[in-house]
Order: sequence, then C-alpha cells, then structure tokens
Amino acid sequence: MGGDRSSNSGRVYDRELAQVKSLYFRKIREFFDGRGFLEVEVPCMTPAVDPEPAMHHFETVFDGMYGGKGERIPMYLVTSPEFQMKKLLGSGFGNIYTLARVFRNGEAGGGRHNTEFTMLEWYRMDVGYEEMMDETEKFVKWMAGQSGLENFPGSKNLSRDISWDRKSLNDLFIEYCGINLNENRGVEQLKKAAKEAGIAKLGGLSGENFYDTNACETWDDVMYKIFLNHIEPKLGFEKPVFVYNYPASQAALAKKCERDPFWAERFELYINGNELCNGFSELTDPVEQRKRFEEQNKMRAEQGRTTFPVDEEFLTSLESLRLQCGKGCGGNALGADRLLKVLIGKEKIEDVMLFPIEKMLYK
Amino acid sequence: MTTTTDIRTNMSIVWNGHTWLVLMAQFVNPGKGSAFTRAKLRNLRTGQVVENTFRSGEAVELAEVENKRCQYLYNDGTNYVFMGNDDYEQFSLDKDFLGDATKYLIDGTEVYAMYIDGNPVSIQLPPKMAFKVISTPPGVRGDTASGGSKEATIETGAVVKVPLFIEEGETIRVNTETGAYDGKAN
Repeated sequence: MGGDRSSNSGRVYDRELAQVKSLYFRKIREFFDGRGFLEVEVPCMTPAVDPEPAMHHFETVFDGMYGGKGERIPMYLVTSPEFQMKKLLGSGFGNIYTLARVFRNGEAGGGRHNTEFTMLEWYRMDVGYEEMMDETEKFVKWMAGQSGLENFPGSKNLSRDISWDRKSLNDLFIEYCGINLNENRGVEQLKKAAKEAGIAKLGGLSGENFYDTNACETWDDVMYKIFLNHIEPKLGFEKPVFVYNYPASQAALAKKCERDPFWAERFELYINGNELCNGFSELTDPVEQRKRFEEQNKMRAEQGRTTFPVDEEFLTSLESLRLQCGKGCGGNALGADRLLKVLIGKEKIEDVMLFPIEKMLYK
Repeated sequence: MTTTTDIRTNMSIVWNGHTWLVLMAQFVNPGKGSAFTRAKLRNLRTGQVVENTFRSGEAVELAEVENKRCQYLYNDGTNYVFMGNDDYEQFSLDKDFLGDATKYLIDGTEVYAMYIDGNPVSIQLPPKMAFKVISTPPGVRGDTASGGSKEATIETGAVVKVPLFIEEGETIRVNTETGAYDGKAN
C-alpha cells in the first residue's frame, strides 16, 4: 500500500499554492504565445552584467571548461534578463518574452521582496511605452479573468472593462504633495519645497515637522523619500494606475523624452500600493548607452564596489536593434510573483513562493 | 552604530523626539538610488500608529529597553494580566495591543516583557511553542485534493494548518511568529 505522501513530520508546504502557481504560469504562456511572441530562455549567470548601482549581484567563479582547469573567471547571477533579451532582439528575433529567474542580493524582508524571483519580461518591436502600457493593461485584465485565478478572498476584480489611470510622476507630486518637480530640479530646492509644502505632518501630531530629508544627499534620494512616504502607499487602490515619465537619471536603459530630456519614457504599474512592473521605450543608442554605463561604473567605484566590464556585444546589439525598428522598441519587466500575489489577494511575496529565502534560512 | 537598515520588528527606536515600538519592518528597493526601510511604528506615549519609510543607512537611536521574564496569568476578555518573575508585580496589557500573541497564551506561559522607562510596552513569545490539538477532522490518507493539510484547533482556540496525519489529543509545535505548524512535540 502506498505510503501517506504527506507524512513529512516537518513543515507543511502549501500544495494549493503550487497548483495555482502552475496554472498561473500556463496562463501567462497562453497569453503571450497567443499574441505571437516567442518564448526564449536566458542564462541565470553571465560574465558581464548591468552596472546599475542600486543592484547588488551575487558573485561567483567559473573554474573553466572540461572539468575546470583552474581558471577563475568571475561570473555574476543576473538581476534582470534584459541584456540577453536585447542580444536576441539585435539578432532579429522579433517579439519575444521570457520567464526568467533573477537574483538580487540582500533584497528580502517584510513581504515585498525575495532575493530570487521570477521576472516576466517581454519586448515588442516598432512600439513605444504607450503601447506597452496598453498591452500590460490587457494582459493583467486577461489574467484576472481566467478561471482558477479569480474570486480569491482579498483579490479585486481587475478584469472589468474600465480604463486604468495614467499619471506622470510629476502629476502625482503636484496632486499629493503640491510640489512641481519641474520647478525644483536642484537637491536643495527640492528639500526646501518639501518643507514648505508642509507634507511633513504625521496625522495627529500636528505642529511638529516630522519630515527629514536632511540626510538625503542626492535629488533622487529626496524625491524617492517623498514618493515612498506620501505617494506610493496611496497608489492603485481604487483603480490600478500607470505612473509614467520618470527622471532620466533613474532610467538608464530608457529613451529620454524628446520634449524634455530631463524625463525618460519609463512607466510603472501600481495596484493596491504594489509596484508591479517597470517598462520603457527602450534606448537604442549605443553611444548614449555606453556613456550611461560609464557613469554607473564610476558611481560604483566611488562606493568601493565591483565595477563590471562593459558588455560590448550588448552595445552592438543595440545598434542592430536601432536599425531594425523604426518607431522604436518597447519592453516591460514585470514581477511575476508580485502580480500573482495581487491577483489572489495575498499579503506578502513569501505567501506565493514555496521556498522563500526567509523560510530556508531563518525559520 | 545602529542604522535604519537594522530596524526590525519589536525593536524600540527614538525618532524625532518620540519613542516608538517597531510593529513591522519592510525592505524596499525601488531599483534606482538608495534602498529604504518602511516601518510601522507605535508611539509609546500616545499609542498612535504611523508608517514611515526611512532611507537605508541613516543613523537611528535605539531606545533603552529592559527585558524582564514574566508569566501570563489570565485575561478578562480585554485585559491580559502578567506577573514579573522577579518582583511578582502584576501588569496588564490590552488585547488589541497584544495582537496575534493572544493566540498562543496559556496560563503560566513564560514570556519576555520589554520595559521602556519602567513601563511594559510589549511582550515577546518563545519562537516555538507546544500546544495540544483539541479538535481536528480525521485526515484521509492520500487526500491531496485538500492540499495535503487540514485545520486543527489548539488549546488556546487558535487554528493552525497541519498535516493530515495529526490527530486530536496530539501535541504539536507552532512557530509563534508565522503561525505555522512546526512538527510534532513530545
């Protein structure tokens, strides 16, 4: 007689979750395959990675071919599939998507991040970020309507036919804080504007200024601190919202806005305060891109961190991509685990993973 | 030096002239620029709960806390009464204040109480505790439709998800932080 398959005297793992997640990935593939995208595989580990200073990579060593000849070639776990995806685009692959495992050292704790997670990333030729927002909205609504993914306690009806909001980052600063970022492009200006706007008062403790941007050194830090405290926790509750046009300094791989290059054609989607994706009109200028990489590596060096060799093949692919797509190319990177979390109404990202890092290491 | 990166649940910090108990701490990385820690804080003087997102790496002051061992005695529905092991002094904490901890308190449970300025502000349960299962449906062998687990009510009245082979009267270990089943206890 077969043994009791659940006679593990240790922990309980959530089989129901495994069933939902399996269905979820099947549905993602159904959507993209059905729209003519080709699913591609990309490596988890590469010799050259994105020098984005906000990312901390896992670093490892390749011992060499044929059983390891004692070479010690530095290799890095990817924080995003982007570079490899763009190489495929450069080679003429057309519309592609991937469900890639990505790794961000140190990113875990509190329910929003897990160090290892699944990124759904897709690219469409001859479109810009507006079309990518349209497609993202279609995708999430379609997923939310799939039998087996709807009607969970705590989940919202996202499949209804109402248009989602689209607001620029500056619109949000004006709406929630009374601050116009365009009029406050210097770091001291922005700090002053934050103080004057009186957005500091924490409810109930009036008369005292709880706002502290003094420790922030860069404009980006001040901006994010205001955003994370006063804007993000309110986004996407009544209706999902796309936030578009971010400062070019925070969008190294995106095209700058033609009308005002301070801003870049980047967007994010918020549902119930959760940031779900990060998409662009992709930058396809290898000269501009190289410049941005050099700036990022310089910042890393100043912080005493590893700098990465510039991925020359990546830059060559960008040139090829530029020649292929007239109007441009759109891309989006969506946190697949986070989206599932929102669809089935779970509170923490650990609740949609069988082996979150916290469970493996600390509990 | 303690920084905002070290903020964790159940810590006490001094911030902007007030003392706060950290109810929840969450790591946030927008992917560009600095990382942040978002925390839910309870003002220990007014009881007010606020949320604030701190930039990682900023210096933060830890409040001076004293930890004392005490025992849970009883509750009258709203007030949960404890007694210090050393001084035999009794104090009570509100049910809402204690939150999920009330799910795991049995008469005599030993806990740590955190004191600030001589006032008890929170209690810490042992991370894993043993409880008797007082009610649970019989598990059917090979029942994978239920996901391989069922609900069990423990002696405090709380409900825990357990494997199908756990029966009434058995003693199980529960992780008091997550509420998850953590094996059979002897």
